[in-house]
Amino acid sequence: MWIKASIAAAVVSVAATALPAVASADASDDYPIPNRILKTTCTVDQYMAAVRDVEPVYYERYMTDYKNRPVDVQDAARDRIYWFFSLDYAGRRQYSEDTATNVYYEQMATHWGNWAKLFFNNKGVAAHGTDICMSYPPNDPTVWNW
Amino acid sequence: MKGIRLASVAAAAIAPALVLAAPAYADPDTDFSNELHTYGIYGGKDYNAWIGKITCKRLYNGLDQDADKSAKFVFLQLPKGSTTEQAWQFLGASLRYYCPDKLPVLEAATHQ
Repeated sequence: MWIKASIAAAVVSVAATALPAVASADASDDYPIPNRILKTTCTVDQYMAAVRDVEPVYYERYMTDYKNRPVDVQDAARDRIYWFFSLDYAGRRQYSEDTATNVYYEQMATHWGNWAKLFFNNKGVAAHGTDICMSYPPNDPTVWNW
Repeated sequence: MKGIRLASVAAAAIAPALVLAAPAYADPDTDFSNELHTYGIYGGKDYNAWIGKITCKRLYNGLDQDADKSAKFVFLQLPKGSTTEQAWQFLGASLRYYCPDKLPVLEAATHQ
């Protein structure tokens, strides 16, 4: 009886240590996609124009990387980020969950690992960009032509 | 304010005389950084060089259409507490080191 109890206790404690490990693979409201990007109502163009002004080095590096991709990859990356921004908060949050739990979920990343770096990878950049993006024009094709 | 700006613009335009006297280094980023120090502008050498070059790029592609816009852009990139005068000094040095053909933009600002 006494042995059984200790086995039961051991099983419970194993389960307790195993659960947080599983949970850590989930997305949070700020990871892997920053909260500001999940919630912003700015367009892609507005956000990029804002980052071009307030985080110019980060923008420059992203655009250099972008220009070094084949044209079909550039086009696909552009389409994909416009698609993401067309989602509402719930859709973006779900996408964040999907990419966090399945490394193969985002096919774009197999062609260009940092395809969304300007948008997803840096909370500070996301915060500075979304602070002021509303003051830029909703459509501005120059943001991709740098 | 207008007076301060004019004086800054004039100073930014005159500075090349001082710079030319300095020994020539192979690395313009170092020279650029050294000149910024004389204005009390510090920070990373590479970062400042990036900003200088991007300032030129924005003039070339027409995103910034005059020196006022450029100075505003530069001011945003300087540490908090920097002055308008420092932004103009940074701008003058950027044009001289990285895009001297854009110096007329600065001269145009003095005649506004």
